[in-house]
Amino acid sequence: MALNEPLRKHISEILAKSRVVLFMKGNRRMPQCGFSAQVVQVLDKLVPSYDTVDVLSSPELRDGIKEFSQWPTIPQLYVDGQFIGGCDIVVAMDASGELQKRIGADVSEPETPTITISEAAAKTFTAAVADAGGDALRLQIDAQFQHELLFGPRGPADIEVRTSGLTVLLDRSSAGRANGVSIDFIDGSGGGFKITNPNEPPKVKQLNAKELEAMFDRGEVALFDVRPEDERAIAKIAAARPLDAAGQKYLLGLDPDSPIAFHCHHGIRSQKAAQEMLLEGFRNVYNLKGGIDAWSLAIDPSVPRY
Amino acid sequence: MSSHPTYFQGSVIDALREAIERQIPDSRAEVNGGGGHFSIEVTSPAFAGKSMLESQRLVYGAIAHLMKGDAAPVHAVDSLKTRTPVETVQTGG
Repeated sequence: MALNEPLRKHISEILAKSRVVLFMKGNRRMPQCGFSAQVVQVLDKLVPSYDTVDVLSSPELRDGIKEFSQWPTIPQLYVDGQFIGGCDIVVAMDASGELQKRIGADVSEPETPTITISEAAAKTFTAAVADAGGDALRLQIDAQFQHELLFGPRGPADIEVRTSGLTVLLDRSSAGRANGVSIDFIDGSGGGFKITNPNEPPKVKQLNAKELEAMFDRGEVALFDVRPEDERAIAKIAAARPLDAAGQKYLLGLDPDSPIAFHCHHGIRSQKAAQEMLLEGFRNVYNLKGGIDAWSLAIDPSVPRY
Repeated sequence: MSSHPTYFQGSVIDALREAIERQIPDSRAEVNGGGGHFSIEVTSPAFAGKSMLESQRLVYGAIAHLMKGDAAPVHAVDSLKTRTPVETVQTGG
């Protein structure tokens, strides 16, 4: 099948949008094939951002890109519109440092992030560095803002941060997510390193019934019931506003910084509602873990369970 | 998507090897696999001085007709290695 002109143009436009473009199966977060996953892993390490195109969502593109590059397999990596190779070429070029040169030459250098390490954490690290046999302290922050502290060898593309007498290495994508991070160490059981990252997008915070009651009593949170009227007829928390038309209007009129909490029967539907409110721009969003059922068990037995 | 099996008759492994050895000068190809998935290792002086991309292109070019279309006998090349006769492996798996 020859590549028709509109499709060739479409592919060229995709390639022009970003310096680094990966045609793959699935997406960056959920690669649908092992080869695509390997290339994503390499790129995540090297580049703060790049475009991916999921060929599984378009049979036309899936065939078209193979014609475009005259290369019969997916994934396919492009830099500056030029075809670089498939999985094993990318992996080999990464190992040799060639890929880094190719991509890194023009990719803007991520700013060296500011990282704060508390005295207690610095003490623990300093002791551990002595035992690490020359490996450096690394901080990894993945796209989901999972943080990992480890000792590992220095990579060619690493960003180096000096703070509290320590050197912390970050790969490029981690560095792009690390500015303002603070690391503390809490002693004792249940302790450990505590990493606070201001770049982390807000998440739905889980409250148990007791915590919610305390916040509510202090007037710190507005509580919404996401269940429909028939369930509310069976049992309800007096203080919770139903999320009917009036309730929604009230909710959307609130300041995005004001704390809001949601409950349903067991905490599943309310979690979904809470997540949607994050997308609406609310930053302090809570979910009642276990729903009205947990409330009935822990706070108010007069609320019927059903 | 077509659900019919490949129309290909005979040994795909042989077809791959013959296609490669016919089109790449002085090459020797080792092919393993089945069920549409294959591993290929090709040795030829033609790869000398070529990048991995160029070397793999030569091989893919030789077998392109076996990889085309929904009912292609070759669904995926899981591993492709090219080397020059002096025993330097150019690519990983």
